[in-house]
Amino acid sequence: MTDAETPRPRRPMSPRRRRYWTSLGFAALIGGLIGGWLVVDQPEGRGLTEMLATGSLTPGFAIAAALCWTIGLAIAMILYHRAIDDHEEHAWLWASTAGWYALMFPAPVWWVLHRAGLAPSPDAMLLFLLTLVVNAVVYLWLKFR
Amino acid sequence: MNNKLKILRAMRNWSQAELAERLDVSRQAVNAIETGKYDPSLPLAFKLARLFGMPIEEIFDDGQKGHADD
Repeated sequence: MTDAETPRPRRPMSPRRRRYWTSLGFAALIGGLIGGWLVVDQPEGRGLTEMLATGSLTPGFAIAAALCWTIGLAIAMILYHRAIDDHEEHAWLWASTAGWYALMFPAPVWWVLHRAGLAPSPDAMLLFLLTLVVNAVVYLWLKFR
Repeated sequence: MNNKLKILRAMRNWSQAELAERLDVSRQAVNAIETGKYDPSLPLAFKLARLFGMPIEEIFDDGQKGHADD
């Protein structure tokens, strides 16, 4: 076996990497919990659109999901920001800026057009999804290009 | 900003993943620095300089000639 073929011993995971994967795992767990509970909480025969967007939710689920999202996201974000390296922080900051612009431009435009009767009432979740998509695209591009 | 990271890494026969481990950053970070898509922060530049045992300005070149007070 040549030197080049000799397998290099794997180093143990660094504390930073451990924190990083813990934060991602924790965020996935929170998402899975909310998603799983949402599915279980639905009445019989409800379609996907109703479940994800238009259908009503039970107060118990809504309160629990809101708490899980707020507290869980806060903990995950603290762990995440303590674990990311320079490069990822750079990607995250630019992605956040782009996400903010994706809200700052259309939200007031939609609002004034609605007040003039030229557009339906602004949809907060649609705007949120837009910022999320822009954020994700910019983050992935900067991180993996 | 140009840099000699790829050459210095190759001289030591390190993979990007190995250098990333030594710097405690992701492999994507090493790749982005090597390809000039990302300029590292000052703390990371110092870490690189210490790892390779040379001054920062021997690893990175901002394309400016002479000293700042020239």
